[in-house]
Amino acid sequence: MPFLSVEGLTMRFGGLTALDDVSFEVERGSIFSIIGPNGSGKSTAFNCVSGIYRPSAGTIRFDGEVVSGRAPHRIARRGIARTFQNLELLGSETTIDNLMLGRHLHMRTGLWRGMAMLHGRTKAAGEERRHRGRAQALLELLGLEAVRDRPVGTLPYGTQKRVELARALASEPRLLLVDEPSAGMTAEERAEIAEVLRRVRKELSLTILLIEHHLQLAIDLADRVLALNFGRAIALGTPERVRADRDVIRAYLGDG
Amino acid sequence: MLTQSIAGGLSAGSIYALMALALVITYKATEVPNFAQGEMAMVSAFVAYVCVTQLQAGFTVAFTVALVFAFLLGVGFEGLVLRRTRDPSHLDLIIVTLGFMLTLFGLAGWKWGADQRPFPFPVSTSAVVLVGDVAVSALSVATIVIALMLMLAVFAFFRFTKLGVAMRAVQQDTVAARINGVPARRVVGLTFGISSVMGAVAALLTAPLITLDPTLMWDPLLKGFAAAVLGGLNTPVGAVLGGYLLGVVENLFGAYVSVEFKSVVAFLVIVVVLWFRPSGLFGRHHERKV
Amino acid sequence: MTDVASDPYADVQLLRGRAAWIRVVLGLAVLALLPLVLPGYRLFTLNYMAIFVIVGLGMHLLVGDTGQVSLGHAGFLAIGAYATVLLMTELGAPFLLALPAAAVVSALFGFLLGLPALRLTGPYLAIASLGFGLAVTLIIGTSPAFGGHMGLVVPTATVGPLRLGGDVAKYYVIAGVTVGLGVAARNLSVTRVGRAFRAVRDSEIAAATLGVDVAYHKTLAFAVSAAFAGVAGGLLAVTTGFISPGVFTFTLSLMFLAMVVIGGLGSIRGAVLGSALVGYLNLEMDAFQELPALGPLLEVFSERVMSVAGLPNVGWVATGGLIMLAILVEPGGLNGLWLRVEKRIAGLRGRGGRRRSGGGA
Repeated sequence: MPFLSVEGLTMRFGGLTALDDVSFEVERGSIFSIIGPNGSGKSTAFNCVSGIYRPSAGTIRFDGEVVSGRAPHRIARRGIARTFQNLELLGSETTIDNLMLGRHLHMRTGLWRGMAMLHGRTKAAGEERRHRGRAQALLELLGLEAVRDRPVGTLPYGTQKRVELARALASEPRLLLVDEPSAGMTAEERAEIAEVLRRVRKELSLTILLIEHHLQLAIDLADRVLALNFGRAIALGTPERVRADRDVIRAYLGDG
Repeated sequence: MLTQSIAGGLSAGSIYALMALALVITYKATEVPNFAQGEMAMVSAFVAYVCVTQLQAGFTVAFTVALVFAFLLGVGFEGLVLRRTRDPSHLDLIIVTLGFMLTLFGLAGWKWGADQRPFPFPVSTSAVVLVGDVAVSALSVATIVIALMLMLAVFAFFRFTKLGVAMRAVQQDTVAARINGVPARRVVGLTFGISSVMGAVAALLTAPLITLDPTLMWDPLLKGFAAAVLGGLNTPVGAVLGGYLLGVVENLFGAYVSVEFKSVVAFLVIVVVLWFRPSGLFGRHHERKV
Repeated sequence: MTDVASDPYADVQLLRGRAAWIRVVLGLAVLALLPLVLPGYRLFTLNYMAIFVIVGLGMHLLVGDTGQVSLGHAGFLAIGAYATVLLMTELGAPFLLALPAAAVVSALFGFLLGLPALRLTGPYLAIASLGFGLAVTLIIGTSPAFGGHMGLVVPTATVGPLRLGGDVAKYYVIAGVTVGLGVAARNLSVTRVGRAFRAVRDSEIAAATLGVDVAYHKTLAFAVSAAFAGVAGGLLAVTTGFISPGVFTFTLSLMFLAMVVIGGLGSIRGAVLGSALVGYLNLEMDAFQELPALGPLLEVFSERVMSVAGLPNVGWVATGGLIMLAILVEPGGLNGLWLRVEKRIAGLRGRGGRRRSGGGA
């Protein structure tokens, strides 16, 4: 059974059809790339999988259960996390506190326990201690220890992207959606992020679904690739096959 | 009774519509609801009052002075206060207008005290006009007519004059307008000036009814807000319709059900409408792209 | 630099280190000894300010942390006050029961207001909350059950053996409640729920995709802030001995919103400072002519330019002016000023104080 299965995904906004009958499957433990020029529907597909949009038609199944049309926080609970192309960090909070938001799902301190955190031996204090510890481990995995207590709004763009990735990882997802990881990066930074993603996949046993505008990066990282254009699937298969596909080449070249 | 209620409702609705429209045009330009509008209008009405009672000026002169004052107040507030707001999050801007509102309220109270003063007006409050065979307050009729004329003038201004079109451009897309050579900042200032004038007219029409004191515009402001929200904060026509709707519904409720809870009805209606249509009856929702 | 080997709990610990403990103990001692030094009417002022601080703590959670707007919190104050009084007079409940019960009632109404808040944003929410506050006052003002315009007299409360007859007894109860709620609010803010609140404020989308139930947290924020205001209302009733609808006005709601902004939105210290200041101004508004230097100046100005009868309105001018100043000049509010002063002092000491960033306590 495929880990993530997308069948006939269609998304319409008024008169505009952003996605038209798109289908693909992602195997557990693999890296799957969605490529395509601007406006091809990549982000829309992501938003459908993560629950921000309710698909107009089609079904998305994660580990056997239907997730399409469910509320985003419930989908998150099933084990899907994501990053955002435009970064949705909490700018005035520190790096560690942003990561702690990622721990929200795994913590249980609510209204009363939170208010009653009067000393270090309370349940709330214990939770803070434990989960900050785990967040710290993630900081180290991604090389962010130095900026632990800095407000993320003051960090350079590349570091912010790593923080957002770390935050998504903090929620211990089984499926990670990465939205244009290389946007705004130099060639060196791109290589770095590719390495980070490979490492993360291995060490945390993740499955990764990737949107990537930069063709080479997508091809290098992915086990399988889906190419979209104007909301339709134009090629699906191994990186080599998709890269050589004529429709794909035309879509990209035509895009300039 | 019915005709009179409706006439009264249309009259009150005219005031609400004026305030609502004034609100919407500045909201569209800046995405900030100007809570200070009522007090700005109130102060302008006091200016007219001072002209008539202390400077012995005639109505025409007094009202003109008041409107000019209102215009300058609007432009000044936008240019000197709103524009200077650092890091303008929406909450911050809302609060600045609230602060200005409070300051104006305090200044008016300080200067003129809480005494209620009868406001001299060319049309007497007891004069009556015959509509068909029903006697309707002349002041109501005057209010409806004047308000309508002003609103039509404003609509025409936005539609047909170069400046008006520029204002609409700024409201729709400030950056695009700038690129096309529209002096956006000046235009926004002018929008506030026009909005303030409309508020002042509303105040001048309300004062004869209620008597003049610093709390004069509290109710009209709140109702104007409610009407704008009811109609939809980014549709001028919706706001005006909302104003009249609110005025009539409120008055009918007051006449046939309960006078005391008249005002509550207004807000209950708003809450119900917003529950089903969070952007107002005619408004449109903006989705943020992710 | 952070010492990674240290206890991560230190991030959220209220009292870090001996210096903090000493400061707190000293502070509490001062609070406890004040009634010995101050006359009754000054204690009344402090009580009144504390009540504003309690509301401010709730407003911090709702507006500062969760980013919602409320222009109707005077309504919750009213609900708390009337519920407390009616529970005591109609059901004979002791104050110790009536107050928490009133808080619960207030929280319920807060939840009700939170429901429309799920769909409404910005100005729409502001209007809805404004309408709510007005509706509450109107309903209370016109119903004979609530004493109508005349209001209700508050029976003397007893807390255990202590009879809250004079300002001193009231002071101890109010001070205790304020400190307790302050700690509770601060703790809530730095733990999981507080982080969820701030996520809702800064990015609902990120919050949702990280598993935060946005609807739950929004309504929770309203309910909790309403509960705080409800407690404040009950304490207000006991402090003044008399409640009437004329107290719970739109301008009061405006004060409640303004005080967290003046104090510095997003910081508890700011909320406390701003609330105390606005509470003081609100109370002393009539007494501006008694200010040492400013008083006579204001009087002269009033005689020459304004009107003497209208002098009490200076309070509105001052508060309105402060609000605008806060936004225009120091968006960090009083807390921003505090932090600047702290930095100056640290700079003078030459240590360059490497502090944990992340804002005030």
